[in-house]
Amino acid sequence: MALSLSSIPKRIHKTLANLRTGVVLLILVVIASATGTFILQRPVTDADRLSQAYSPNVLRWLDRFMLTDVFHAWWFLALLGLVSLSIVLVSIDRFPNAWRFYARPYRKTDSHFRSSLQTKVELPITNSAEGLNAAERALKKLCWPIERIADGKQTSLYSERHRVSVMAVYVIHASLLLIFAGGIIDGLFGYSGYLMLQKGQTGNIIETRTGAKKILPFGVTCYEAGQENYADGSPKKWWSKLAVVQDGKEVQAKEIVVNDPLVYHGLRFYQASYGMTGNLDGLEVMATPESGAGREVTLRINEPFELDPNTSVTLAEFIPDFFVRDKQIFKRSDNPENPAFRLQVMNKTTGKEAKLWLFPAYSDAAQGQKSGYGFAFRNMQMGYFTGLEVSHEPGQWLVWAGCILMGVGLFVAFYMVHMRLWIVALPDAKGKLILWIGGQANKNEDRFEEKFNDVVEGIRTELERASTVPRAARKIEPELTLVAVK
Amino acid sequence: MATRARVVKMETPAATGGNALLILVGLGVAFLLITALLGAAKAGGPLFNESNLLYVALIFYAGAGALYMGFGVTGVPKYVKVASVATAIGFTANTLAVAHRWYLAGRPPFASIYEMLLSFVWTVAALTLVTEKKFGVKIIGSITMPLAVVCVILMQLLPSEVRPLVPALQSTWLHVHVTLAMLSYAACAVSFALAMMFLIKDHFPTETFLALTSGLVSAIYIAIIATRFEKWGGLSVTAWDAKDKSDMFLGRGVRLFVTVPDLGWLFVMAGLGALLPLVFYFVARVQRNDSYLGIANKAIFIGILLQVIVLAAFVLRVRDASYASPFQEGLYPTSLAASPFILGGLVSGVIASMLYLMLLWRRTDLEGLLPSADTLDRVTYKTICIAFPLLTGMIAAGAYWANRTWGSYWSWDPKETWAAITWLVYAGYLHMRITRGWRGRRAAYFAILGFGVVIFTFLGVTYLLPGLHAYA
Repeated sequence: MALSLSSIPKRIHKTLANLRTGVVLLILVVIASATGTFILQRPVTDADRLSQAYSPNVLRWLDRFMLTDVFHAWWFLALLGLVSLSIVLVSIDRFPNAWRFYARPYRKTDSHFRSSLQTKVELPITNSAEGLNAAERALKKLCWPIERIADGKQTSLYSERHRVSVMAVYVIHASLLLIFAGGIIDGLFGYSGYLMLQKGQTGNIIETRTGAKKILPFGVTCYEAGQENYADGSPKKWWSKLAVVQDGKEVQAKEIVVNDPLVYHGLRFYQASYGMTGNLDGLEVMATPESGAGREVTLRINEPFELDPNTSVTLAEFIPDFFVRDKQIFKRSDNPENPAFRLQVMNKTTGKEAKLWLFPAYSDAAQGQKSGYGFAFRNMQMGYFTGLEVSHEPGQWLVWAGCILMGVGLFVAFYMVHMRLWIVALPDAKGKLILWIGGQANKNEDRFEEKFNDVVEGIRTELERASTVPRAARKIEPELTLVAVK
Repeated sequence: MATRARVVKMETPAATGGNALLILVGLGVAFLLITALLGAAKAGGPLFNESNLLYVALIFYAGAGALYMGFGVTGVPKYVKVASVATAIGFTANTLAVAHRWYLAGRPPFASIYEMLLSFVWTVAALTLVTEKKFGVKIIGSITMPLAVVCVILMQLLPSEVRPLVPALQSTWLHVHVTLAMLSYAACAVSFALAMMFLIKDHFPTETFLALTSGLVSAIYIAIIATRFEKWGGLSVTAWDAKDKSDMFLGRGVRLFVTVPDLGWLFVMAGLGALLPLVFYFVARVQRNDSYLGIANKAIFIGILLQVIVLAAFVLRVRDASYASPFQEGLYPTSLAASPFILGGLVSGVIASMLYLMLLWRRTDLEGLLPSADTLDRVTYKTICIAFPLLTGMIAAGAYWANRTWGSYWSWDPKETWAAITWLVYAGYLHMRITRGWRGRRAAYFAILGFGVVIFTFLGVTYLLPGLHAYA
């Protein structure tokens, strides 16, 4: 068969608008996502871990096939795009029919429809107007909405509930597209990064996952941050007091905790981590001159502190965890359990500098060259940082709107049944007058059957009541005049 | 609406045969209760605490499971009455256990895999009672009660202390998310049980059930052997730190394994034993000779025997012993608590084989007990219609919560991804059923596949593919 150029788009359309294609695409998405969970993914794995798990050769091939970052690979995004396209095309293909069904409900029955309908009952009646009136009264009692359809000679009743349920499936698919759209917007215009702040610090440069830096048009100050613990020592709460500073003015302030971020102009700041910076905030020592009373002073690194007009002391070095080899002091780790402090005492008159060491884990007193002062360790404060996750997701509102819409759609689609009743008075095959009652539901047929039986029973009772009441005593209802009696 | 189960003609006189199992189960339950009571009295401490209540629930669930299965085999209607009473008692104890834990912790029990299982078992028991009373599917307990028993046994082995909530879990969304998850997973479990029953009622060949059972059990063994078989026939298990009541760790997230000598070979033998029926099944299919199927049905007995031996050997050798580790010098203690999933796998294997035997022996009676295939098919679909919106809500609530905690509503974390896969599988089921008119077997296969994915998402991902979702 020759393929003309113009038929190619048509064929593509036909293929994509096919439910089978949609299912195949879904299966591919499932396989791809599962693969992405079994193979370690670069964005969430340390480089060390990756090289430990895979040999360089395997890793090269995985990278080549883009399997180490499946969820951001172009082919995965293309797959999701195709799924969306398929949903759109299938929906477009089916929508006109559904809309016709929805907008112009089938109200009037014909003989063919009546014979093919599954759920139906025929009740003998004597007069068609009376029969229809009885049916109307019964339906009213059971709270069914009623429409009277007069068509020339024949009048019939039509009643339906929850017609909207037939459109729910389009709402669900549209909501899925809305969620995808939100995700795409966030993928294109959103960003996220990390901001580490120490107490009192203001920052406006965030580091994204790829290591790139992004400058925010405003600054964020951390006034204070802390951690609260449970009795057993496990963390209970991390908090940071943050403020947004723009053009030198504080425009917003909030104390954030894990689960409750600060939001400013679409940017959200989350409490992500909290810990020691490894730097020293301050060292408290008791400085005692050779004669006289001592006093407690707080030293900060490389900041000279004047003890008296002639003498100043500087904290020149801080080693959080030291060890000694060849009479030299080295750093073992960043864990401040075994610290060493080097103090330099400057005598301005002599111009002499004395070097002292303080090893609080061994002795409170400083040792070293003579300086005219004795130093004793009192306390040390480590510097803490608060780690903030920063994210900008302009598409998230579409996602939430999609979620709500999907919830509504699913509820309507699964729990609201489109039920229809047709009631018409006509002669049966033998020419006897009957009331024909037919019904249909688009799902949950067994439950509908119960409802249908209730309706039939109601009509039967009304018919019986009507026939027992003497004709003369019967009140003539206004509708009766409208009915064209056959 | 549902066709009520008919009582089937009995070959054995119902009076004597009927009471034997009742007496046996009654005695068993009473014995276990009394020993538990004595043990609790001896140990002192409060009687109505969570672990005692859970133990009571376990005993009654096990009794109920035995009676449901007995009902399946004999068709004595009395069994099912007593079984549902036992289920109700177990459910009450289970509810009290949940309430006790809730009261002690001051929050709903949703924060660890132990607590999730507690809620899951509770929901499964509740749904079993509902399905039985409302839809008349009496036999459903013979599948869901053993499931509940396996879960409670797993729970006995998992760390169960009430741990305070880590900061990320302190959110109302935890409750919304987990409640929805439990409800939907339990609904999926029920749909799975119903789909299995549909296959039975639909004259699905018994041999195929045999092949599937054999395949499932050998898959369990292959999974264990592939990950745990050591050189010279040992089996590696996680070392247990009795002081901290947790697995022993070498480093961050790296568990210390010790090797139990010779146990590996035993597992290989049992795995081969479990594989035998499948092999004979294929031989019968290839040779078109049904006499091999008879051999396959005999082979399953060898399989069960080997499985029970392995189970006993595993329990005896791993419980409170010390073994050497290939990674570090010295002997390290082991405990069943450190290998809950191996034990769970072994118990599930035995139960699956037993369920098959029930089918093999009493197929016609079983079919008589079940509602019509049409009803089962429809109820399966309805259960999935309940599960699917719940699943959707669970994912949406999780995304919203993640957005407040991790800073992103979707991070392609393994748990998230697998939840999405579960959703897609059930979405596929609904599409095929609604637009392609899939009914009956194909729909039942889909429902079974769906539950397989649910189990993997719930338990498999937690233990095999750790990610952000590290709590459970």
